[in-house]
Amino acid sequence: MDRKDFIKQLRRYQKGSISRRHFLGVTGLGTATAVLAGSMPHLLTSRRAYAQDLGDQVNLTTWPDYHEVKNFEKFTAETGVKINVTVFGSNEEMFAKLKAGGTGWDVLVPTNYTIETYVGEDMFEELDAALLPNYAPASYTDPRFTEAGNVGGKTYAVHKDWGTTGYVINSSKVTENPTSWKEFWDLTNGAHAGRTMVHDYQLTTIGNALKYFGYSFNSNDEKELAEAEKLLIDSKPNLFAINSDYKPSLLNGDAYMSVCWTGDAKQLKKTDPAFDYVLGKEGGEIWADFYAVPKGAPHRAAAYALINFLLEPHVNADEVLFHGYPVADKRVIDLLPPEIVNDPIMYPAAELLAPLEFGAAATLTNPARAEIMARFKSA
Amino acid sequence: MLRAYSILLYLFLYGPIALIVVFSFNSGLSAADFQGFSFKWYAKVATNELMLSALKTSLTVAFTSAALATIMGTMAALALQRVQGAVRVLFDALTYIAIMVPGIVIGIATLIALVTTFEAVNTLLAQIWPGDAPPKFGMGYGSIIAAHTLFAMALVIVIVRARIAGMDRSLIEASMDLYADPWATFRQVTLPQLAPAILAGFLLCFTFSFDDFVIAFFVAGPLNTLPIYVFSSIRRGVTPEINAIGTAIMLFSLIMLFGAQILLRRRQKPAK
Amino acid sequence: MSAGTSAISERKQAVRQQHGRWLTALLLAPSVIWFFVLLILPLIVVVVYSVGVRAPAGGYQAAFTFDNYLNLPARWAAFRNTLTLAPLGTLICLLAGYPLAYFLAVKASAKWRVLLLILVIVPFWTSFLIRTYAWIFILGGRGIPALLDSIGIEGVRLINTPFSVMCGIVYAYLPLMVFPIYVSLEKLDKRLLEASEDLGAGPWATFRQITLPLSAPGMITGCMLVFILLMGEYLIPQMLGGGKVFFIGNALVDLFLQSLNWPYGSACAMALVLIMLITVTLYLRATSATGGRRDASLI
Repeated sequence: MDRKDFIKQLRRYQKGSISRRHFLGVTGLGTATAVLAGSMPHLLTSRRAYAQDLGDQVNLTTWPDYHEVKNFEKFTAETGVKINVTVFGSNEEMFAKLKAGGTGWDVLVPTNYTIETYVGEDMFEELDAALLPNYAPASYTDPRFTEAGNVGGKTYAVHKDWGTTGYVINSSKVTENPTSWKEFWDLTNGAHAGRTMVHDYQLTTIGNALKYFGYSFNSNDEKELAEAEKLLIDSKPNLFAINSDYKPSLLNGDAYMSVCWTGDAKQLKKTDPAFDYVLGKEGGEIWADFYAVPKGAPHRAAAYALINFLLEPHVNADEVLFHGYPVADKRVIDLLPPEIVNDPIMYPAAELLAPLEFGAAATLTNPARAEIMARFKSA
Repeated sequence: MLRAYSILLYLFLYGPIALIVVFSFNSGLSAADFQGFSFKWYAKVATNELMLSALKTSLTVAFTSAALATIMGTMAALALQRVQGAVRVLFDALTYIAIMVPGIVIGIATLIALVTTFEAVNTLLAQIWPGDAPPKFGMGYGSIIAAHTLFAMALVIVIVRARIAGMDRSLIEASMDLYADPWATFRQVTLPQLAPAILAGFLLCFTFSFDDFVIAFFVAGPLNTLPIYVFSSIRRGVTPEINAIGTAIMLFSLIMLFGAQILLRRRQKPAK
Repeated sequence: MSAGTSAISERKQAVRQQHGRWLTALLLAPSVIWFFVLLILPLIVVVVYSVGVRAPAGGYQAAFTFDNYLNLPARWAAFRNTLTLAPLGTLICLLAGYPLAYFLAVKASAKWRVLLLILVIVPFWTSFLIRTYAWIFILGGRGIPALLDSIGIEGVRLINTPFSVMCGIVYAYLPLMVFPIYVSLEKLDKRLLEASEDLGAGPWATFRQITLPLSAPGMITGCMLVFILLMGEYLIPQMLGGGKVFFIGNALVDLFLQSLNWPYGSACAMALVLIMLITVTLYLRATSATGGRRDASLI
C-alpha cells in the first residue's frame, strides 16, 4: 500500500469509520506487530486473550452510574469493540425485558437474588472459566458475596461488587442524627414530611418498612406484610416521591432523605459532604452484583472479553473509585487507597453489617409483595 | 379581552418551550441557574455516542415505518373508493380501532404477541435447523417498525381518504374519457392531486414515529430509540444536555411539520 | 352488428370488472394483512392471556380462569384516578381552549388566522416527552417554588402532586382540543351572528343560543380526542407524579414490566379497551345526534 492509501486508512481509523483491527489488517501493521510480539512476548500479553475476532460491538445491560467511562474507552481502544450500554431501574424490569426480548444482550449485571431465577428459566449460560483468566475465585474475601453466582455447583455469574441498602440524609437539613429505620419512618411522617423518597422497588421498600417493626427484610409472612403495607400507605402522603432515581432530587434540595444504595451515597457525599449514609441498626439489606452472560448472546466472545477486562484488578480498582461500591476481591482491595478501604460508607463496621440480610429469590418473585407494592403506588 | 386571553394562552404554550431552549445554552451545570451563554452542551450532545446511536435507530425506524405506512395506506385509501358494504365497514372499524386503542395497550399487545410468536418460531427453528446456531428472532428494529407502521398506516388512510373525498372528480372522469388506460389516468391526474396529502401523511407519520415513546418502550427490545434514551436520561436528572437534545428534537419536528403544512395548504390552490 | 359489438363490450366490461376486483384486492391486501397480524392478532393474544395465570417466575401460563377479571377491583384506585383526572383534564382543556378557538375562528383577521392556528398546533407535534420534561423543572424545587420563596412564600411543593400532573395534562393536550373546536366554529356563518344582534339579542345570548350549539360537534370531537388519549396516559403521571400518581397506564407498565403479572395486566388492558369502546360509541351517537359530519381529519 502506498503512502496516500495509508494516510486514507489512517484518517478513516481516526474518524472511527473502521475498527482498529481492520486498520491493522489492511495496512499490514497488524502482521508487523504480531511478528514483533512473537519476538518480544511481553509486548502484547494482555491481547493474547483476544486472539479471535470479537466483532465490533457488545451490549451491556447494567445499572445507572455503575461504570467508569474511561475504562470503556480503554476497552474499545484495545479491542476495537464498542460497548452499547442499556440501563435499567430494577431487576424486575431487567428480567422482564430479557425474558421478552430474548436476544440482543451480551453482558448482564444481575443482583444476587435473581440469579437462581434466571438459571431456573434457563436464561444464563454456564460461564467458561477458560475465557476469564482474570477471574480468581480464591481471591474473594467472603464466600457470601460470590456463592449466589454458583447454582447447582456450576458458575453462572462472577462477582462484580457488593453493597448495602440504607438511607441517605442531607445532614444540613436533617439534624436529628437518626440511626435506625424506626427514626427514618418517624421523620418521614413527622418533622420532614414531604421530603423523603423511597425506591420504586418492592424488595427494598417493603423490606425497609418491615424493618420499622423489626421483622425480617425477607419476610413473606402475611401478618407482617400487612403491617408493613399499612405503614407504607399511611406514609404515602408524606413521601416526596416513589422513585429509584433519587440522586437528582436530593441534589437540588427537593428531598432531604431517601432509601439509598452504598455507591450512590458515596457519589452524593463526593458532591456534597453534607450527605450522610445511615445503616439502620435494626438491619436491612446486603447484596452483591454479578456479571453474567445470557444464553444466545449475539457477541459471546466480546462479552467474555469485556467481563475479563473489567475483572482485571487495576481496571476494577478504577471502577470502584468511580462508582463507590465495595468489592470483595482481595487483589482489588490491595490496590485501593486507605481512605476508601476505611470509608464507613463503603466498608461499614462489622456490627452494622451483622444484622443485614441478603435478599432472597423468593422475596423478589413473591406475587403478594408485588401486589402490596402496586396497592401502595396506587393508593 | 379575548385577545388578551389568547396572548396569555400562547405565552403559556410557548413559555416552557422557550425555557428549554434558553437553558440549553446555559454555560452552568444546572438546568436551573442561568450562568452564561455557551454552546458546550450542543458540543457534548454531538459527541455523545449513546445518543447518536439512539438517534440513528430513531431515524431508521421513523423513515421505514413512514414509508411502509404511506405506501400501504395510500393503496388502501384508493381501494376503499371502490368498495362498498361489509368490507368497507370492516375496514373503517379496523382503522378506528388502530387509532382508538391507547398506545400503551398496542405496545403491550404487540410485545406479548411477538414474544409468544418468537418463542414458538425459535423453538421450531432450533429443532429443524441443521447447524449449531439456529437464527433466533427477537425484539428489535422489526418489532418497532411493525408497531409504528400500524398506527401510521391508519393515519395515512384517514388523511388520504379525506383528500380523495375532496378531490375534483371531473378531471378524472374527463381523463378516463380521453384515455382508455386507467393506469395513465392514475399517474397523470389522480396521483398529482393526491401527492400533497400523501407527502403530508408521510411527514406526519415520520414525526409520530420519531417522537413515540410508549410503544417503543415496550417493543424495542435491546434497542434504544431517541425518546427512550431521553426518558432514561431524564430519570437520572435535569441537565442542560437534555435541554440541548430537546431543542434539537423540537427543531427537527418543526421542520417536518412545516413541510407537511405547506404541502397540505398547496392542495387548496387548484392546479392550473 | 350492434348486438355483436354490445356482446363484445359486455365481455370487455366483465373482464374490466374482474381486473378491477383483483386490483382492489391487491391494493387492500397489505394493509389488511398488517391490521390483522399487528392489531387483531395481538389483541386476541391479550384476550387469551387475560384468562391465564401468572407463571411462577413471572409471565404467562396457560390456563382458563376469570380470576383476573374478578380481581380487577384490586386496581380500582388506578381506574378511579384515571376516571377522575381524565375527565377533569378534558374539562379544563375545554374551558381553556374554547375561548382561544373562538378568538381564532371568529375574531381574528383572516390573514393572521392560519398562522396563529399553526402556532397552536406546532407544540402538539413536537416531542411530548420534552414538553412534559419542561414542567419537571418549572414545578420542581428550582422553579416556581424558588420564585415564590424569593418573594416570601415558602415551602410550596408543586411537583409530584395531582396538581402537577394536571398541569402537564392541560399543557400537553390543549392544542388537540383547540383544533376541532376551531374547525367547527370556522364553518359558522357569521351572518347568523349579525342577524341575532340585529334582532336585539345581547352577545351572551347570541353565544348561548347560536354559537355554542353550532360548535357542539367540534367540542365533542375535541373532548373525545383528549379523553381517549388521557385514558391511556402513562408518561405524564410517571414524570410529574413522582410515582405517587397512578393511572391505568402506570398500572399496566407496572404489571407488565415490574410485577410481571401478564395475565392480570392483560385483563386490565381489556378493561381499558372496553371503557374506550363505550366512550367512542357514545361519541358516535352524540355526533350523529347533533347532525355534525364526522371530522375525518385528525390533524
